[in-house]
Amino acid sequence: MSTYVLMRILESAPRRYDLGMWLLTFGSLGHAYDRLASRIHDGQRALDLGCGTGALTLRAAGRGAHVSAIDVNAQMLEIARESAQAAGLAEKIDFREMGIAELGGEASASYDVVMSGLCFSELSEDEIHYALKQIKRILRPGGPLLIADEVKPPDVLRRMLHALSRAPLVALAYVITQQTTHAVENLPEKVTHAGFSIESLRLNTLRSFVELVARAPGQAA
Amino acid sequence: MNHLRYILINVLQTLLRVLPFPCRTGLTKIGNPDRNSPVLLTGNFRLTVERLRRAIEGMDAYLLVANSRGVNVWCAATGGMLTNHDVVSVLKTSGIEDLVDHRTVILPQLAATGIEGRAIQHKAGWKVIWGPAYASAIPAFVRNRFKKTREMGAVAFEWPQRLEMAVAWAFPISLFALLLFPFWRDGVLPVIGLVWTLSMVIFLAFPLYERRLRTEGKNIGFIFFDFGPRALPLIFWGIFLAVLFGYALLIGGLSWASLLRWSAISLVVVVLLSIDLMGSTPTYKSGLHEDRLLRIILDPHLCKGAGFCEQVCPVEVFEVDDIRHMATLPRAHQCVQCGACIVQCPFDALCFQSPSGDVVLPESVRSFKLNLLGHRLVKSG
Repeated sequence: MSTYVLMRILESAPRRYDLGMWLLTFGSLGHAYDRLASRIHDGQRALDLGCGTGALTLRAAGRGAHVSAIDVNAQMLEIARESAQAAGLAEKIDFREMGIAELGGEASASYDVVMSGLCFSELSEDEIHYALKQIKRILRPGGPLLIADEVKPPDVLRRMLHALSRAPLVALAYVITQQTTHAVENLPEKVTHAGFSIESLRLNTLRSFVELVARAPGQAA
Repeated sequence: MNHLRYILINVLQTLLRVLPFPCRTGLTKIGNPDRNSPVLLTGNFRLTVERLRRAIEGMDAYLLVANSRGVNVWCAATGGMLTNHDVVSVLKTSGIEDLVDHRTVILPQLAATGIEGRAIQHKAGWKVIWGPAYASAIPAFVRNRFKKTREMGAVAFEWPQRLEMAVAWAFPISLFALLLFPFWRDGVLPVIGLVWTLSMVIFLAFPLYERRLRTEGKNIGFIFFDFGPRALPLIFWGIFLAVLFGYALLIGGLSWASLLRWSAISLVVVVLLSIDLMGSTPTYKSGLHEDRLLRIILDPHLCKGAGFCEQVCPVEVFEVDDIRHMATLPRAHQCVQCGACIVQCPFDALCFQSPSGDVVLPESVRSFKLNLLGHRLVKSG
């Protein structure tokens, strides 16, 4: 049997994930996460979808929230756990190895806030649709959904510019992490279509990166 | 038109076989399926999906394509790129649960190195049935009421596959040969010709010398520096040199300089082609992988004869003794260390043992997948 097609290089890549993603987003990722996390308050129950190495999780826990952080990548979770230990936040975070496909097992209205950084861009159309449906169910009425992710620019010119500016970074990020992301098409429209109302939307100049705050339907109790 | 497209995709993907080629994931209907039709699942390597669809033409079924990162099912499952999460995801998010009344999914047998039947049952509520090793046997497998014959579960390295592998190696190496162009313009075409000829000879003649590849334990690292029976590149090279010198004698026009040059070039080509010769076959473990030396060990006290090992082994190592309710390993020497039997055994009765006696426990075979060089480093869920 052959594994020569496997693009895995000797070392485990997740250790270098943060660097790769920082490059891919032109260094703007941290600021986006800071702004989104500022919406989270002490004592809230938060869910981080695709927590990765824990960038959003740690910010939320640092603001006093109790965070459930899920990811399908066990190596990423290990790094996130180590960071949480180091930051003294381990007790506020429940790390779980699970995918969005298992959100069906979470109780309805059990979270005050749901957040996701660079996770939707790793999902298929079916998965995005399913995830939004489940988030709407498990988020308390009126609760915020916070998203930072890569999106496809709306017009052809920007798409070309975006592709050109990204090409070398994609190659570099791939060499470092053997991972890349696929920008999501019409993410704000999908969120609206799933029944959320968009409260604020922030796009970069190329319209290729979105910071989005949406509200689940219904009135806050 | 469809036919032409199928041929084009096959040719292109065979030339570039070493690269991943992802296609769309999700649900497709085959024929006119109803609420009781079988549900088949595979990875999103385009070539696999095209061939599978052709193989099951005329059936009524649902096809689920899970995200295997554009890599074929066996490599993806063994390398941690097709995981339990990917299978659960397509079962839950594709909408298949609204379309059928049953909860049974047929997985490719070769996915058993990475997908745990019990985990899928536990996380998604779907029962996993291990299908045949090759898509071409699926119609017979379904007609046979999901019972596998021994042949359906075994991998083979027949001539069409050998031809494919010859092309898959020759094409990328030819691309590198193009780099010679600025330095040695006249040499490029002959070098490419040499690459293709040697590749065809080495792969198509595989059955003639494959007996020599079976060595017990005596393996020292990198294939080329092992002067045991594995010194195949040297043997290939020797044969080629004999032909070359014979030819030179016959036509009398070749100089020593060009003989020397072509000897050196052919050595490089032969080494490149046979570097992962065994890894290019489904019937042998890659000569580059450390774990080719591992032996499969059965704990008779834990074994209850459930027979999952027999169902998922691609090289017919196991036979279940129905009287003693225990698995036996009459063909242990054929093991390719894929680990599928260890991953699936519900009683943890199987494990790997290294020549020095170290044991690789089922838990680590399940959670750590192989990287490019056969180190069990990639942790997966």
